[in-house]
Amino acid sequence: MKLIACIKQVPDTAEVKVDPKTHTLIRDGVPSILNPYDQFAIEECVRIKEEIGEGSISVITMGPPQARSALMRCLALGADEAILISDKAFAGSDTWATAYTLSLAIKKIGSFDIVFCGQQAIDGDTAQVGPELAQQLGIPQVTYIEKIEICNKHKLTIHKQTEDGYQILEAKLPVLLALLPPTSFQPEHPPMSSILKAKKKPFNVWDAKLWEAMNQNLV
Amino acid sequence: MPKDIIKALAKFELLGMVIDPEYDGLGTDVVTAGIAAEELARADPSCSIPVLFLVGTSWGHVLERYGTEDAKKEILPKAIKGEQIIGIATTESDIGSDLGSMKTKISKKGDKYVINGEKMYISGVAEAIAYGGGHVTLAKMTPDKGTRGMCLFYLPLKDTPGITPTYVEDIGREAISCGGFDIKNVEIPEHYLIGEENKGFYIVHEGYELARGLIALVCAGAASKALENGIAYIKERKAFGRPIGKYEGIQFKLAENYVRIQALRELAYKALWTYDQELQGRASRFEVSMAIAMAKSVAPIWAFEAINDVMQWQGAFGYTKECEDQKAWRGVRSFTLAEGSSEIMKLIIARELLGKDFLAYR
Repeated sequence: MKLIACIKQVPDTAEVKVDPKTHTLIRDGVPSILNPYDQFAIEECVRIKEEIGEGSISVITMGPPQARSALMRCLALGADEAILISDKAFAGSDTWATAYTLSLAIKKIGSFDIVFCGQQAIDGDTAQVGPELAQQLGIPQVTYIEKIEICNKHKLTIHKQTEDGYQILEAKLPVLLALLPPTSFQPEHPPMSSILKAKKKPFNVWDAKLWEAMNQNLV
Repeated sequence: MPKDIIKALAKFELLGMVIDPEYDGLGTDVVTAGIAAEELARADPSCSIPVLFLVGTSWGHVLERYGTEDAKKEILPKAIKGEQIIGIATTESDIGSDLGSMKTKISKKGDKYVINGEKMYISGVAEAIAYGGGHVTLAKMTPDKGTRGMCLFYLPLKDTPGITPTYVEDIGREAISCGGFDIKNVEIPEHYLIGEENKGFYIVHEGYELARGLIALVCAGAASKALENGIAYIKERKAFGRPIGKYEGIQFKLAENYVRIQALRELAYKALWTYDQELQGRASRFEVSMAIAMAKSVAPIWAFEAINDVMQWQGAFGYTKECEDQKAWRGVRSFTLAEGSSEIMKLIIARELLGKDFLAYR
């Protein structure tokens, strides 16, 4: 089973302050972290792979070179390979451009069964990239997922949060899932051996040149 | 120290990380252990958890390198799982740097060793008594040979007949106990001897050197955290109409301390890298001693002064127990004494520069 997780490195909003004069965020010296929604998505992704007992997880992000540390955390949490899409040409991408670029990366990887995303990122809070990515890939999507109950090679059963409670849905594969951690979620901290193993896992950096070639074939 | 903390260190596989996987360790190099030491001190600037970590790492390593197979299989996996602790006990009430004058004695009796004496100012005594484990201990076997007549051995403290603990209260590092123990006719099995008889003094220094290298990074971690706290404070706190970070008096101290702590990190990582090189036969023990002594000689002093300046910036608040940095200030102060005093570090450096003909106190 081929699982793909899309993640984002974000400033730790607990550490961000607001400039009292300009009312803009002061990002200087603020540590960058793996978006907590994405950490939940990665943990669920790893759990699903372990329950099925086979498959691989590719984790992708689009960002500056320093986003490497967020990908390394995902590798330590159990992903099998990492892809960093990084080029100055991608700077300033809006949600559509980000989703489009991620969709090209996923098409380059080839066939897949499930794409995992966090519901939203804690810096922008748009919750748009996941649904837009599903649209670009031409696959169904389910958002606000707090639990994946049963998963096999053909379908899965999921809990989708609603204002009143949750719905239990079934989805066919391939599908994109946008996950929202329950309030009880405590992010896992990988042990030292997993951090050390992560350094030996495949880590790819793709730049815009690759995209130009793909664009000509795909668009 | 609460057992939960020790178990959490084990859960993250930080205990005994340099130990071979055969004994449930990770088999990392000591530079990696140094990174862990620095980060632990950033998280616990009081240096309590870092002390438990560095002592277990250093003397776990000595036990692995020189201990008997039976002792290694019995002791190391439990320590790595956080079920027991490993400490170090060489100091006595009036014996610190002058180990040759040690009074604790060990003698052979059939297939056992018998120990009599006392150890004092030892970290982790209460933890070893409560949770199990023991201390890598040094005692004299052949008194007329001085440092050439010492044995190193593992001494379990929990439920051991003849062990009577005493406790003292440190001014810092409050989360790990400090104390000592009387040793009266305590018998240990033969396989607890570490290395050969009468070679203990030389073996124990390999542990001390690793511990000193890790301490240098503990000091760097605690001071780095304090400087970060200080930077945040001087940007916010105003005096005479502007943030105090705008004044040269503050900026010069900030710059000086930052450079020192970065220099300390370079010295310390170089020292641990040299230690790794020696383990692979690519450096001599003298090179290790020099590199480690250089880092340890300045680490607690530079760290203490950096933290002291951060406390000074915070005015009267800096002298209260509400101020986090005072924990670091009290914690790093211990390391001008622990695991080899700053003065001993300078003697080692001078010994390497001048040669053995100029050895002090001989």
